[in-house]
Amino acid sequence: MGTQKGPALAGLSRILGPDALLTDPAARLVYSRDSSHMTLGRPLGIALPADASTLRKVVRFCKVNELAVVTRGTGTGLSGGAVPNEGEVVLATSQLKALGPVDDQGLRVRAEAGVLNDQVSAHASSFALHFAPDPSSQSISSIGGNIAENAGGPHCLRHGVTLHHLLRLEWCDVQGRALTTGRGLACERGIDLTSLLCGSEGTLGVVTAADLKLVTDPQSVATMAAFFPDLNDATGSVVSLLRAGLMPVAVEMVDQPMLEAVEAAFGFGFPTDVAAAMILEFAGQPEEVAEDADQAGNLLMGNGAREIRRAEDAATRMELWKCRKKAFGAVGRLAPSYVTMDVVVPLGKLPDLVREIQVIKAKHGVEIATAFHAGDGNLHPGVHYDDRDSELRRAAHEAADEIIRTALAMDGSVTGEHGVGIEKLHAVPWQLDPVSLELMWDIKRVFDPEDRLNPGKALPPPGSALAVPPSVPRGCTFNWDSMTVTAEADVSLSELQAQALERGLWLPVGLAAATTQADDPMGPGLGSDRSISSVVENILFSPALVAGGSARHFLLELWAETGAGRLLHTGAPVFKNVAGYNLAQMLCGSGRVLAQPRAATFQLRPAPEKLGVWRFADLSGDGNFWEGIHSLIDRLAHRDPTLGGPVFVIDGSQEDCSASGPQGTVTVLAPGRDRSWDLGDLDKRLVEVASLAGLELLEQKRFDFRSWSHALVHLPDWALAWPDWSVSAKRIQGKIEADRGPGDLQKTSFLPQKPPSRMIWQASPALVWIPGSATENEGWCCDHCCSGGKPTQLPDPDAGVPLDLLRGMKKVFDPDGRLDNPLWLKDENHG
Amino acid sequence: MADQRQTAKSHLAELLRSCVQCGLCLPTCATWLATGNEVHSPRGRLLLLEEVLNIEDPDTNIPVAFLAAFDHCIGCRACETACPSGVPFSLLEYGQGLAGDLVVNGSPEIPQPAVPGFVLRRLDSPSVLRFLGRVAGGTRSFFAGILGRRWRSRLDHLPVGMRSLVRLVGSMPTAPETDDQLRALLDDLVKSSSVVPPQTYPEDAPVSDDSPSDVAFFQGCANNGLLSGPSRRLCELLRSAGCRVEVPQGQDCCGALAAHTGRPTRAAAQHHRNREVFNKNTGTGSRIVVEAAGCGLELKEGLGDLGSQVIDAVHLLSGLNLPVLRAVPLKVAVHDPCHARHGQGISQQPRELLSRIPGLTLVEAAEVEVCCGSGGVWGLRYPEISEQLGRRKAENLATTGADLVVTSNPGCLGQIADGLALIAPDLPILPLTDLVWYAVKPE
Repeated sequence: MGTQKGPALAGLSRILGPDALLTDPAARLVYSRDSSHMTLGRPLGIALPADASTLRKVVRFCKVNELAVVTRGTGTGLSGGAVPNEGEVVLATSQLKALGPVDDQGLRVRAEAGVLNDQVSAHASSFALHFAPDPSSQSISSIGGNIAENAGGPHCLRHGVTLHHLLRLEWCDVQGRALTTGRGLACERGIDLTSLLCGSEGTLGVVTAADLKLVTDPQSVATMAAFFPDLNDATGSVVSLLRAGLMPVAVEMVDQPMLEAVEAAFGFGFPTDVAAAMILEFAGQPEEVAEDADQAGNLLMGNGAREIRRAEDAATRMELWKCRKKAFGAVGRLAPSYVTMDVVVPLGKLPDLVREIQVIKAKHGVEIATAFHAGDGNLHPGVHYDDRDSELRRAAHEAADEIIRTALAMDGSVTGEHGVGIEKLHAVPWQLDPVSLELMWDIKRVFDPEDRLNPGKALPPPGSALAVPPSVPRGCTFNWDSMTVTAEADVSLSELQAQALERGLWLPVGLAAATTQADDPMGPGLGSDRSISSVVENILFSPALVAGGSARHFLLELWAETGAGRLLHTGAPVFKNVAGYNLAQMLCGSGRVLAQPRAATFQLRPAPEKLGVWRFADLSGDGNFWEGIHSLIDRLAHRDPTLGGPVFVIDGSQEDCSASGPQGTVTVLAPGRDRSWDLGDLDKRLVEVASLAGLELLEQKRFDFRSWSHALVHLPDWALAWPDWSVSAKRIQGKIEADRGPGDLQKTSFLPQKPPSRMIWQASPALVWIPGSATENEGWCCDHCCSGGKPTQLPDPDAGVPLDLLRGMKKVFDPDGRLDNPLWLKDENHG
Repeated sequence: MADQRQTAKSHLAELLRSCVQCGLCLPTCATWLATGNEVHSPRGRLLLLEEVLNIEDPDTNIPVAFLAAFDHCIGCRACETACPSGVPFSLLEYGQGLAGDLVVNGSPEIPQPAVPGFVLRRLDSPSVLRFLGRVAGGTRSFFAGILGRRWRSRLDHLPVGMRSLVRLVGSMPTAPETDDQLRALLDDLVKSSSVVPPQTYPEDAPVSDDSPSDVAFFQGCANNGLLSGPSRRLCELLRSAGCRVEVPQGQDCCGALAAHTGRPTRAAAQHHRNREVFNKNTGTGSRIVVEAAGCGLELKEGLGDLGSQVIDAVHLLSGLNLPVLRAVPLKVAVHDPCHARHGQGISQQPRELLSRIPGLTLVEAAEVEVCCGSGGVWGLRYPEISEQLGRRKAENLATTGADLVVTSNPGCLGQIADGLALIAPDLPILPLTDLVWYAVKPE
């Protein structure tokens, strides 16, 4: 420590005020611990800044005075990420509690770092919206902490982890500068600092607030518990469930010892003489949920379940979830101490790993209780012991390490959601190879050259990596049980999709085929196909019925060659992975500026079965075309977006139509399962709403989803470019006004002053593509993007984009500028 | 002696090991919510206790900051309800015990209350409370007379010392003394309520035959001294349900006040006295009815064998067949006293009881499990945190759009009344049993 204790504390006290700086022995003890049971030393003091600006001053003060800073949410981390070393400053974000108004059209809300996870959903509940990531600690864990760890939770199976719900971060770097990541659109191209910061455990910067994506509440929910006498039957059923095309929102499990602890804590009346209890939940339209739950029930009974209980009401549902969510807290009933792991394996390997754990348990003579995010392949085996017995402690840690090594041998990851912290530092070198660890450290040095931000956490020491990276895969290999695909850079997306669709799966990012059918009555086709390399570089996000995600969200593992010619392998073929920095998703969408993709592994999803297409026109000539469309879009906007929300293609405008003729047409595309409750129901509602709006149905078609490219050929090429802004349905009336995004977007002058002749609107997450108007920024919307070396809209340092950090990243990956080199990255004076 | 202490310590250490530090107790802890400081959270206090138990040398002084942290605990036991690992509250009570000297002898770490210590120590007497209540009532009427309905918020900008006094005046529990006052208040509320009165009014309901015949009524200092109207009406209610109500003479304070201010000997003496009084007057099997949730918990735990006969008044009423004669078309929010909800597991019973009243709509406030910040005399010693919590509770209750708030503990009644006076002066609060009395006794 370079600074004297007294003056340092006096300085901090001046910034914070005496009440917001804790230095008494009680506080120094309490803040030296978190939920991990680990401790390193006592902090110098604890800063509780009341607002982000004070927080930044504290960070800056600490840098100037050579003090290390450990950012802390509410101290519920399980890997010791918030535990300070002796003499460090703990920066607690618990007082940053502002929660902005809910934007129910844009499905988003701004929350400061200290807001609790549960509070976000409670805040949005009156709009029938919620924040999907739901770690078991959600009643107490903070948004800041969730972001630092990239927290998961049961419902991440369907909705994705915390990162997938971040639209924009407000953060400060080690110099205390107020920075932001992007504009807050659903998904942005560029070097994705959001992906990099999320899960970096406070080692790169301090997140002060985030724009969070909200998810619509399902109309109906079915929660059920299945009890299995045989553990293998239970784990095997998880794979069978997903492979049967059922897409539960959550599939969770607890094994017998864990079930017993939970039963002792809450007395639910569950049988404890079974090997495992599985909790699964379906959500969506009532008929869909009922059908899926019945089908799942039959499947599970056929797979060896002894009994299935369905929660008939909200109270019983809460009870079932309590069983799973409070399991962690109830382990205190099993033994005084435990080592909790957080390993992830490809879904298909789940049964193997669980079998191996039983072997390891017997071999080391230890007790293991496990809670699973089974659908994600994420396990929390807890080895329980009495820490007063050193022999037991040694056996417990040996068993834990063996479980981790076993998971890694199955292409798994050390940690899926708990983070590395200090607890898993010893195991991460078994997973990372020297090149990736070195790059991570290089990035760390760009952001925090003096290692002041949470030193000694998240990354194992430089040079410690032991793993040998897998060689670049050839061709296109599917792992059906794990629902993943690994493809070489030049594999075409249509080829990949065609094969996946044969098995009822797809990569929900883009169009399947390069169909050009000039004679198609719906218009000219696309005429281009994408390679995997292009998907990774350009983050393909088309109106092709995406569930509010993008290629970035489905990318699990990446092989790429850096500008310096080094082969980087990063990520793992698992659904959740927070071991080391998230380089794969950070690089996805960054063009060919930092590295060149060589191969990638993506997560696949059950594919929709049919595609419904409806075309409406305003034949009344009463001039209410836009009003009609507004009404149509508004009523359908909140459809469950999991399979893909409806896409509206709007043609024509008031200007180019005569008073007597049609004023335009709107085509609605919606994927579905073509059951009476699904497309049939949508069909009814569409026609009903449309007729109310004065629109008449011109034609209606139903396509087999496997040949969906045929149905989509009328989408023009520009629609495959980047959506330029999101607008709410309410604004599509007469003229378009920008409604989305932070203030700088509204100031942008390229918005059209009159209705465009053609536009595409995606119901959720409210994205709009408009041809022509996008030319000004070449179809790119990101403020730190890099499109094939062309100077695109320039990053704006005033808006909080750290040009120096981006240039630093360029130097790390491509020191000699061999790859694409946008002007703003080269020119220190530019921008 | 040393051995005994060692045994006690190892027992506590063993209990402490069941805490896995998951932190699920934090969001229900009022002091953590108010301060955002983890030292003032159950997990924080247990970490400090662990350190204290690790001290081998009995002569080692426990840091004052530790003791202050223990003393900040209101004792609401919300953490005990929240804890999945079943960590017992007795651990925190032990911590509070350690801080006892600090409280009794005063310390710069413990804020001194606006009320002098010698008065504070005599609050467990109905006559002292009656006197204080009269003074407070008069002062309150005076302020309200000259400053209007928003008198409390108008006095909110006074210097800290004065504010504490105003707060003390504002938070003294009151309820209508006479039956006519209560009827008038509720009649007015019903008239202005937006709830549509039910079409059919209840007919005479039969009185249950299986009502317990004998109950011994525990008066409690605050109820006896400040809320004699509600106490009397509660007894009437019990009689309407067929109970024979005895009020044994010679009752003492339940002991909670002394126990919570670091005077265990005094508390034990009060337990002893009450045991004698009730042993003499209560047959085996008959119940000892307690109006205030705080007293109820103290008696259940402090009266030894007799404790199992103690029953909360609302709990008892909810099991009786009461002849409800009047519809009460009001939106009502229930505030559960912590010592009912967390201490005695009573939260369904009051709702069940009220839901029997035709036309009455129950509304639930956010953070229903969080303490209102009264904590008996705790609120007098930590007036700033207490006031913050009172406002928070009042905001949560006002947000429900309720016409009326009811509760069953005098401390909560005064604390929430004070919070509501600042946040929502039009929203009244009454003892829960007064509302039931109004439905049962129309004339």
